[in-house]
Amino acid sequence: MLSLRNTSLTVTAALALGLITSPAHAVGVAAGTTINNTAEVTYSVGTVATTATSNTVSVTVAEILDVVVTAQTPSVAVTGGATQQRLVFRVTNTGNGPETFRLVMNSVIGGDEFDPTPSSPSIYFDTDASGDLSAGDTPYVVGSNDPVLGADAFVTVLVVNDIPTGVVDANRGLSRLLADSRTGTGAPGTTFAGQGQGGTDAVVGTTGADSDAQAQYLVAGVTVNAVKSQAVVDQFGGTRPVPGARINYTVVVGATGSGSATTSVFNDNVPANTTYVPGTLRLNGTLLSDGVDADAGVYEAAPTPRVRVTLGTLTQASGSQTITFAVTIN
Amino acid sequence: MNTGKKVFAFAMLFACGMSSQAFAQQKGCIELKSTAQIEQEVVDAKGVKTKQLVEVTKVVPGAEVIWTVTASNICKQTSDAVTINNFVPEHFTYVANSATGPGADIAYSVDGKSFAKSGEVTVLDSGATRKARTDEFKHIRWSFKDSLQPGASTFASFRAVLN
Repeated sequence: MLSLRNTSLTVTAALALGLITSPAHAVGVAAGTTINNTAEVTYSVGTVATTATSNTVSVTVAEILDVVVTAQTPSVAVTGGATQQRLVFRVTNTGNGPETFRLVMNSVIGGDEFDPTPSSPSIYFDTDASGDLSAGDTPYVVGSNDPVLGADAFVTVLVVNDIPTGVVDANRGLSRLLADSRTGTGAPGTTFAGQGQGGTDAVVGTTGADSDAQAQYLVAGVTVNAVKSQAVVDQFGGTRPVPGARINYTVVVGATGSGSATTSVFNDNVPANTTYVPGTLRLNGTLLSDGVDADAGVYEAAPTPRVRVTLGTLTQASGSQTITFAVTIN
Repeated sequence: MNTGKKVFAFAMLFACGMSSQAFAQQKGCIELKSTAQIEQEVVDAKGVKTKQLVEVTKVVPGAEVIWTVTASNICKQTSDAVTINNFVPEHFTYVANSATGPGADIAYSVDGKSFAKSGEVTVLDSGATRKARTDEFKHIRWSFKDSLQPGASTFASFRAVLN
């Protein structure tokens, strides 16, 4: 009797990150700076030339309250049911003095196909600067560890959500981070007397002293299919599966969906009661040597005889991969 | 600012208030007074908008400040060849064509040494001499053609924007 085992594929999908940095520039001279001006006059009375100076007039630079939030990861690929998926934001103090900012996140936003579920906690500082949620990152607690940023300084903030189950490929879920100045917000020009750096006035700048940015989770599903077919050639010129007959296998592997299947590996056990025909493993028509070497293919005799082909990253765009090999019936 | 350092902020306010009231007067025939003002739009009871100059001690980046020097002759003799020198304060940028003074020839300088009319000021840039841009003017000189009579006063002003 002949028994044929099914093809098995090992597929893992990794996330692709898009990084965009929008430089934000602080406005002008540092708050609290004192600037002086003294004029001088020369004149003559009769034949006597004289020089005199004026009083010194001083102005102090008031504090501008401005903040800019930018999404560092505009779109993050996720799968349904995934937990603690992070979006990366940057909060930059574009004012001219030190300021404390409050952070608020929101995942209930229109214009998308699903609402991400905020994890608990849902805002972290990227304390270890890894750009990812990791054990060393500090959760944000409003009013407790509000970020204090100097002029032009920024902090990297992670907004963390769980992805609901039941989402399908290409669904989008938006999440937003808002930062506002603790001194106050309002229309540009709004003045908070005496609340600026060095006791000067704090004046709301062009950003209104608050800013938000949103980024999306994109469900990037990927399905890898393998279709296997066989052709039997017997030693008598027929197609009967008798001992000594050869079976030529063709397996077509393809990915469908918007995601990427990274580190894809094709494994196929040689069916019981058959023997692999050395030197018959091919990928897309190209012969792969049986030994462990630089090429993608290998035939492993132990513990279970099988062929193995490393396919790398598979996407729908990469098209189908055709693997062929042959066995003989014992 | 809101950094939780309110005591420090108050102390700084006090210090700044002190320094801005420092006043230097020189004995002689001409008394000079410098002011920093901004133009403020005022709406009266009838809804008519007018612009008023108000003295400032606090300015925000981007604000245009009018720096004015008033020269008063407090002697009984006439003062001749009256020349006022002023400079564009640190962190400020001169506003083109804003220097004015009644009956004064106005000259500009980048280095405070060589003065010339606007458009004729030069600057050394990477070893080559080129015309200076007005935003590079750092020193201004007003040479008054008329003598300053006893009891009379004149002024020299310019506008500059806080960087």
